[in-house]
Amino acid sequence: MTAGARVRGPWRLCGWCAFAIAVEVGLYASYRGHDARFHWFTHAFVGSAAALTVMTVVTLVRRRPVPRPLLWPMVTHVFAMIPDLVFSGGYAHRRWMDVFLGHISVHFVPGRNTTWLVVFLIALAFYLAAIDRVRPPEVAR
Amino acid sequence: MKQRRVAPVPSRRALAVVWLAATIGFVGLLFVARRLEGPRDDPDQAEQRVGFLDEGMLPIAAPVITAGLPAAGRATVVVFLRPADAADECTAMSRQVGSAAALVAVLSGPAPCPGIPAVHLDPEGRTAAAYGMRAPVDRGPSVGYAVVDSETRVRYRTLDPHPAANSREVLTILRAL
Repeated sequence: MTAGARVRGPWRLCGWCAFAIAVEVGLYASYRGHDARFHWFTHAFVGSAAALTVMTVVTLVRRRPVPRPLLWPMVTHVFAMIPDLVFSGGYAHRRWMDVFLGHISVHFVPGRNTTWLVVFLIALAFYLAAIDRVRPPEVAR
Repeated sequence: MKQRRVAPVPSRRALAVVWLAATIGFVGLLFVARRLEGPRDDPDQAEQRVGFLDEGMLPIAAPVITAGLPAAGRATVVVFLRPADAADECTAMSRQVGSAAALVAVLSGPAPCPGIPAVHLDPEGRTAAAYGMRAPVDRGPSVGYAVVDSETRVRYRTLDPHPAANSREVLTILRAL
């Protein structure tokens, strides 16, 4: 740790944690209304895997963990869900909506959500490994 | 001098716990969500209420069912229902969708269908098969709807245990034609 730096308390992380979880619960509840929980999982896994990949690269380049790590997957999840939010407003899906992290196509991969769960867990493992790799040598393992 | 704030790096054990917790949590949530799927849902949820036109093999020519419907010149919604639900679903669909499209009810058994004059009995599921309706989890008759455009082409079809409850979705698809 550099001189003059101080460690941020864990309560700060948990504040963002609570916020991110509250948003995800809200998104899930929005899907329950039209009986499409399947879609929440798809876009949560795909969005989170995309965010974790970026977070891994940023962590390795900057040599420290990204700030507010729970917000990144939440933001990409919302981005991936934009066509569903638009659909609720009365606008049907179109093929070009794949620009939102493959919003249409990702539903049809073999294995469906199980495949995306595995992708997400692999991306999470890489991110956690990146954090471990940039650990300052004085921090006990 | 203002101190720069840095996040602490969790221990390797804490990182492993995070990964394990995420694995157990999401596997559990996915399992629960699958258990919540109903007997009339599509066994492949990716195929249910996809929200866009011309999925897969569509469009296909729409076979005429009854009373000259579907007919060219106006969109038609073909609703596939089971007898126990027919009264409520027909009433609600005619009220909520009837002004936007012609309606045809295909029933898997005899039942009253108030509000929809064009009713067709399909106990063996031939009409449902001709429209490419998928079999639900309980392997019983399909419950859902197909949307036919003004050129009598099937542009959308989906299982939906409660089509009237999702009538806004039907209207969204009709607007997309």
